Amino acid sequence: MFSVNWWGLILPFAYLVVLVGSFITFSSMYRKRIAAKSANLAPWFPPHLQRNVYLSLLHLDPSEGKEKSPAVPESVLRAALLRRAVEDIRRIIEIRSAKQACSTLLQRGSIGDDLWQRFLRAEKEMEEELRDVVMEANALVPDWGQTIFQSANEIAAGTAFKTRLDEIQAQAKSEKEWWEKRRASIRSDFMKELDAPASSVGKTSDDDAVLVESASSTASIRKNKGKK
Amino acid sequence: MEDTETFTLLPLHMDPASKAIASSNNSRALQEELKILNTLHRSLLSLESPVPPPPIPVNPKRSANITKLRESGNNEFRKGKHADAIKFYALGLQMALTRPPWEPSGLVRDEVAGLYANRAQAHMAMSSWVEGSIDAEASVEAKKVGNAKAWWRKGKCLMEMGRLDEARDWVGRGLEMEGNEADLVGLGKEIEKKTTKA
Repeated sequence: MFSVNWWGLILPFAYLVVLVGSFITFSSMYRKRIAAKSANLAPWFPPHLQRNVYLSLLHLDPSEGKEKSPAVPESVLRAALLRRAVEDIRRIIEIRSAKQACSTLLQRGSIGDDLWQRFLRAEKEMEEELRDVVMEANALVPDWGQTIFQSANEIAAGTAFKTRLDEIQAQAKSEKEWWEKRRASIRSDFMKELDAPASSVGKTSDDDAVLVESASSTASIRKNKGKK
Repeated sequence: MEDTETFTLLPLHMDPASKAIASSNNSRALQEELKILNTLHRSLLSLESPVPPPPIPVNPKRSANITKLRESGNNEFRKGKHADAIKFYALGLQMALTRPPWEPSGLVRDEVAGLYANRAQAHMAMSSWVEGSIDAEASVEAKKVGNAKAWWRKGKCLMEMGRLDEARDWVGRGLEMEGNEADLVGLGKEIEKKTTKA
């Protein structure tokens, strides 16, 4: 029979203990550091102003109770919640359009891991935010949670479209000024040519006459078939 | 965004009579937001139901009015009274753009596209190319595909103003959107002819 020499085995056991112990310490510290780092990452979106307004309104009455200010009427709260939903829609659209690009860039290694972490966190926060808005909506008016985001979606799309239209219409003034100047210069050129010898005038004015005629004839064709 | 459990308390207060929300904080974003909020609140108050109804179905009254305004504009246009036609179209536009914001934006786009295109045509008939080109551009912005008339009109206006390069670019973009629309192709050829002549 062979007997185990326990004293001789102390060294290997101590070796194992140190190895495993250092491994555990390292891994726990490493994880903690990563978690701290991702917690300190800058948020993807700026502060949610509409959410702050809504929650501030919710908490308004108790703090000013001594001034006897009436409680905030529910209609104001509903409007504030709708504004919050509109902003959420804008953010969701931003996240959805960024997701594809972000993951492709991450696979190619063009962006760092922390940007992706920030993105994932923003996505998760948005999910919670949506759930919260639906709950608030249902609390204010029964079953509003089902339609609030439909309305918010239309509001967001409509506002974006109107800003774009306003931009286009805002060009009108500068364009008009440019055209007035341009027309004045064309006219003065034309007058100069009128004063010049008749031989050169004949040619240009003839050209212009043809031009005008063709323009007005096409315009009248349009008139007939351009209507809906 | 901050933590989901917390928020920043803003110094808000409410005017008891008008129920308008105001803030002592002078940040411009906040002031603007409150202005929008108060407008939205007022438009919510004019509703019968406590919350905006779902986008569909639409209240048909306003659509009927807009169609009527467009029809009268078209009638004036046919009689040759272009200035009056423009007035009717402008009224229709105003009505379409002041729809309550929660009504379907696709519908607004459709109506606005038609009205702008028609107003562009009326402007063109009066040879005011600048207004015509801007209205046509607005119409294209509202409806990019299936709006060949508006693409054609802006191209025509640019050509009339002598901005041949812009006109060519514009018609090229229009052709990408509309496929080979005969009118646009014709206009493109006309522009090419002028460019070579100039």
